Amino acid sequence: MSLIEKHRNIIDYTLSSLGRRKGKTFAVCLVYSFIIFLLASVVFFTQAIKREADLLLREAPEMTVQRLEAGRQTTVPAAYADGIGRIRGVQSVQKRLWGYYFDSLTGANYTVMVNASLNGREGQAIVGSGVLLRGAAEGESRKIQAGDSLPVKTYRGEALMLKVAGILPFASELETADLIQVSERDYRDIFNAEAGRYTDLALQVRNRKELATIATKIVRQYPDTRPILREDILRTYDAIFDWRGGLSIMTMAGALFAFIILAWDKATGLSAEEKKEIGILKAIGWETGDILQVKFWEGVSVSLTSFSIGIFAAYLHVFVGSSLLFEPVLKGWSVLYPDFRLTPHIDAYQLVSLLFITVLPYTVATIIPSWRSATIDPDSVMRA
Amino acid sequence: MRILQVFILAIMLSASPALAGDQRIHAAEGDKCPVCGMFVAKYPDFLAQVVFTDGSVAFFDGTKDMFKFLLDLPRYVPSKKAADIDKIQVTDYYSMNAIDGRTAWYVVDSDVYGPMGKELIPFGSEAEAKEFMTDHGGKRLLRFDDIAPELIGTLD
Repeated sequence: MSLIEKHRNIIDYTLSSLGRRKGKTFAVCLVYSFIIFLLASVVFFTQAIKREADLLLREAPEMTVQRLEAGRQTTVPAAYADGIGRIRGVQSVQKRLWGYYFDSLTGANYTVMVNASLNGREGQAIVGSGVLLRGAAEGESRKIQAGDSLPVKTYRGEALMLKVAGILPFASELETADLIQVSERDYRDIFNAEAGRYTDLALQVRNRKELATIATKIVRQYPDTRPILREDILRTYDAIFDWRGGLSIMTMAGALFAFIILAWDKATGLSAEEKKEIGILKAIGWETGDILQVKFWEGVSVSLTSFSIGIFAAYLHVFVGSSLLFEPVLKGWSVLYPDFRLTPHIDAYQLVSLLFITVLPYTVATIIPSWRSATIDPDSVMRA
Repeated sequence: MRILQVFILAIMLSASPALAGDQRIHAAEGDKCPVCGMFVAKYPDFLAQVVFTDGSVAFFDGTKDMFKFLLDLPRYVPSKKAADIDKIQVTDYYSMNAIDGRTAWYVVDSDVYGPMGKELIPFGSEAEAKEFMTDHGGKRLLRFDDIAPELIGTLD
């Protein structure tokens, strides 16, 4: 019998032996797939959201300057921008106006920001795809469309109707879904903001080596400011997402341990029947090596099947089903997007590490006890 | 997510000035410095180039290597003479734009190091160079013609 033929027979025997114990195999596969699904969902989600943040921040200004008043962020006078713009190495200073607007009609919190291209087009707004409109007639919220009128209550208590001139492109939903862009005058009307003052300053610096020097100079010149570097923000976001991912894995630790116990029990504790089977196989001339191969293939087929099912389900869950299960934990407090999808992205590194922490231990765990019983005298096993 | 969002918007809304008038020196992935043999594209902040009249270009990963090259042309390109040089460009420290190497101001012995260690840091104007010297402790301010082989020797 050729080697391949022999191997084929062994695999054949493995599969039919798995088929004979449908109940056990199915139960292990089910729990196994579920655990992989949970783990992979967290990993995929964390990675995808970090990647999204990373892609967006890459283009962000190198430095933001905020002004503090009694330790809290406050508005920056325009004169600061001129002074900072004169510091060597600062390529440009952009005065930004942005804030949060709570819409009591829909109960949503939106980010309002000035878009310079809307200056002169007062009363118009460009909004994100997640902004809702509460229809008077229908009585329920629906997604806003171009041409709609968005009612806004200003901080003076007046009503302001903003005509939706456009919807922001889909590019990065996480960041633009809840956004409302207005002209500078509308912004100042909505928030009753003092003229000549801005929310913060965005700086472009060409030479990254100069960032620290420029930050020092800014603080020396304006001691009440706080410069924030892009790298700091990137690091903070990375830490936050990692922390959240870790937190969700912690909450799943119980399930994970339950699985480990089950897998251990199912895989390692050979039943008397299985021991007998091994005994008979040995009695009819199987070698220890052949039996180990059977057990190895058993472990591999169970774990790989479950792994594929789990990964596939996690992919659907995260990238198609908007991570229903742990959206609230991972996304943070500003969750208000009715529909939110991450760009599908999986790298080989994630898959391989998941494979190593699940499939490998399982396969190894199934082999050791079989090896122990395969080395016992068949006679004593069959008699037992 | 909020702060992040605002960052992104700033970019989306304002046409990025960094992209608008890009006057940097551009080297291709495979361009090597003829003096030290390093790939230069990885160090855009120190990039320098010498363009010859026949259109050929030599890239450098720092002004120090560029001066070594210029001060000893027969060794590096025996086929060319000083008269064959069309233009010499270096990267301005603050703007990172290409500036004329012959009229630039160079600061030596500062706390800013290039890929090859101590560097001559180029500036477009004297005022910029002076300010850099107060920030980064440069000891000497030099013009193109002041730079001699002995000086370059002290930088290695």
